[in-house]
Amino acid sequence: MAAIIEVEGLTKSYGSKRGIDDVSFQVEEGEVFGFLGPNGAGKTTTIRLLMALLHADGGGARIAGLDCWKQSLEVKRLVGYMPGEPALDPNLTGGQILEYFAHLRGGVDHDYLKQLIERFELDISRKFRQYSTGNKRKVVLIQAFMHRPRLLILDEPTSGLDPLNQLEFEKMVIEARDDGRTVFLSSHVLSEVEKICSRVGIIRDGSLVRIGGVSEMAAIKRYEITITFADVVSAEMFRMLDGVAEVESLEHGHSVRLAMQGPADAVIKAAAGHQVVSLTSHEPSLEDSFLRYYEADGASAREPQGVA
Amino acid sequence: MWLSSVFLKTLRDYRVAILGWGIGMGLVVISPMASVSALVTTPQARQQLISLAQTFAWNADPVAVDTIGGYATFKIGMLMFLIAIWPLLAGSRMLRGEEDRGSLDVLLSLPRPRLRVAVEKLAAMWTALLVMGVLIGLLAFVGGKKFGGDFGVSDALLFGLNLALVCAVMGGLALLISQFTDERGPAAGWTAGLLLIFIVLDMVHRVVPNTEGISRLSPIYYYNLSKPLVPSYGTDAGAMVVLLVLAVALGAAATWLFVRRDVGGTVPLPRWLRLPERRASRALPVGDWSLRTVYTRSIGMIAMPAFWWTLGIAAFAGWMVYVVQLMESKLSSLLSGSPTMANLIKNLGGGDVGVNAGFLSAMFFFLPLFLMAFAVTQVNRWSADEGDGRLELVLATPQSRTSVLLGRFAALATAAVAISVVTLLASAVAAAAAGLRLDSGNLAAATLGMIPLGLLIAALGYLASGWLRTAADTGLLSFVLAAWFFISFVGPELQLPDATLRLSAFYYYGTPLLHGLQVTSVLGVLAVAAVALGLGTLRFVRKDIGV
Repeated sequence: MAAIIEVEGLTKSYGSKRGIDDVSFQVEEGEVFGFLGPNGAGKTTTIRLLMALLHADGGGARIAGLDCWKQSLEVKRLVGYMPGEPALDPNLTGGQILEYFAHLRGGVDHDYLKQLIERFELDISRKFRQYSTGNKRKVVLIQAFMHRPRLLILDEPTSGLDPLNQLEFEKMVIEARDDGRTVFLSSHVLSEVEKICSRVGIIRDGSLVRIGGVSEMAAIKRYEITITFADVVSAEMFRMLDGVAEVESLEHGHSVRLAMQGPADAVIKAAAGHQVVSLTSHEPSLEDSFLRYYEADGASAREPQGVA
Repeated sequence: MWLSSVFLKTLRDYRVAILGWGIGMGLVVISPMASVSALVTTPQARQQLISLAQTFAWNADPVAVDTIGGYATFKIGMLMFLIAIWPLLAGSRMLRGEEDRGSLDVLLSLPRPRLRVAVEKLAAMWTALLVMGVLIGLLAFVGGKKFGGDFGVSDALLFGLNLALVCAVMGGLALLISQFTDERGPAAGWTAGLLLIFIVLDMVHRVVPNTEGISRLSPIYYYNLSKPLVPSYGTDAGAMVVLLVLAVALGAAATWLFVRRDVGGTVPLPRWLRLPERRASRALPVGDWSLRTVYTRSIGMIAMPAFWWTLGIAAFAGWMVYVVQLMESKLSSLLSGSPTMANLIKNLGGGDVGVNAGFLSAMFFFLPLFLMAFAVTQVNRWSADEGDGRLELVLATPQSRTSVLLGRFAALATAAVAISVVTLLASAVAAAAAGLRLDSGNLAAATLGMIPLGLLIAALGYLASGWLRTAADTGLLSFVLAAWFFISFVGPELQLPDATLRLSAFYYYGTPLLHGLQVTSVLGVLAVAAVALGLGTLRFVRKDIGV
């Protein structure tokens, strides 16, 4: 499948402040790509560079083979964009805003627009200033989808949406993907990315630190095994086993909790030498892994081997 | 220290306004003091000044206008609307503005009674007004000393206090009205409307005999009962107490309502006072013309402010045309006795011509100034839209940056043309009504000739907004406008070199009411505006948005 977004060595700084540095990645047409990173990592800068709202200091970005800066008009015809912080004329109603943007896009299918309004149960008669945060985001989300763009670029799209509307959003993303359209979304809600994205890029301190499929991302996850024994068992016997990252003794030595990173074969074999009462395995969410990934310095030490 | 309480934090927020408004209004008080000595060089001129002031008695009380303090009091009386703008805006913004922004939610989540928050904020506004009053009073005293006024420092401070009190009434009224409106804008608008009514009510007793009872309904009436800068007239303590009681009552009523209503909600008006509810349409506004392009949307945005500016500018021009003939004899005597004023009129109006035409031409000098001030407000809006991120989604549509910028500029140009055309029509109608013969070609040149200057300041503003943030851009434009005005207004009197005079855009406006359109100058101004707009567009096309 051809790449619809091609980013090569993209660099942007704000005077002495860091923006992004030498970011490169590709997004294939028809995929849902999650762009992850903590606040201030450079997600929005990357997105605003794609939308030609910022001019890159170095490198370049292309969408559907078109240069994002030089051919920005053609690019924008293909894209539906949702900014992270929607700011619109506070005195216009939701309906007026949608109608205005429909005109600026050269017209849209009003039946489809009405469907979107109904799906999100948006009251379009209220002024933008009177909307709640969630409703403001619905307006901007609808305008991003209303012209059925080939590529959706969404900056933290579900932030502020209630769970029902998040669900509706996820359905819309899946429909867009099934329709052969591409979705590029930034988020720090990993459960959402885990659910709807096929690939993920992680940006940190302005640099892309990891890119791969969601399943590959899962490989950086640790998982936990808790074993309860009939008798007291020394936790130390597990410490040096293959795949064990951390060991914790519980219930006065009757239980051990093992943080695993790798196969559990050695642990199972060692445990089998004792009378096991129960064994549970818990897989942490990508969110937990993500938090661990970004916790204190020394990220490289935590990067597992063999992950793309 | 300044962040240790709501009172101090609010006062801190007002610090620029306290200094700016206090000193600015103080200078406004000093300005007429500076000119009065030049106006009363002979007994005849003094008499004419008194007589001329009587012509405007409907607007302000002309008491001892041939004295420094009396003339300043008279002039300030005519500027009541200007003086009340800050308290009016501050009062409407104090609680409702914070509710609009959502910051009051956070403040009220603190373990602090709502009543105390409101009272501290109100007290901060009163304190700010008091400090402004002291600044105005001190500057009035300095002005009086410099130009030979016969009032003391306590009189000057009482004058400042009287101003602060009437401002506190207007601020309290705005605060009270904001309890009934869901946005601060309508609260400020309604208060401004009431202020106009108060000004008119106060005028009634000066125009129609035996109507003092009607004027007593206006706080402005009580303000005018005290004239501390006129020692022979003095201060009416009772009137000042009335203003104080009014300010406290309005503030108390607003606070009482605020602590009882929902934050973000409004106090429901009685049914008979409510405007008929517009049925909100849930259908898409498919036929709305203003949503079709960036240009039409910009026209929609600019329409309301343009309407009010048109009304003001056209009314000013029409009124001047209408009254100039009525004032001719008094004005003629005044000018013959006051070389300074005569020179000023000559410099602005353009040469030794008849009093009517010269005076009118001088007054028309203010038209481009007003139009340019309007343009500055619209440039401010453009700059703020970018800074606040409101351009981001528009620029994410397939609209080029050039078309977005030019669409906005074209709307401003359309408004400038509309203001000028309406001003032309109003002047022509006023001339016909007053039986004044004006050269129609020159009248058209004087009114339509201000368009290039409006476009010039707007284009410079668009250019500067490529680098500057909103406040700096607006500040720079205001400074440029003030500098141009100063150069053209007093430059000839100060015998500034011609090269300096040419730095002012007003120089190129010329005196079209007398000498017609200076085509070369107009084309020159338009060319500079086009270059500035071109450079501004180039910059906008290349710049980072919202950074």
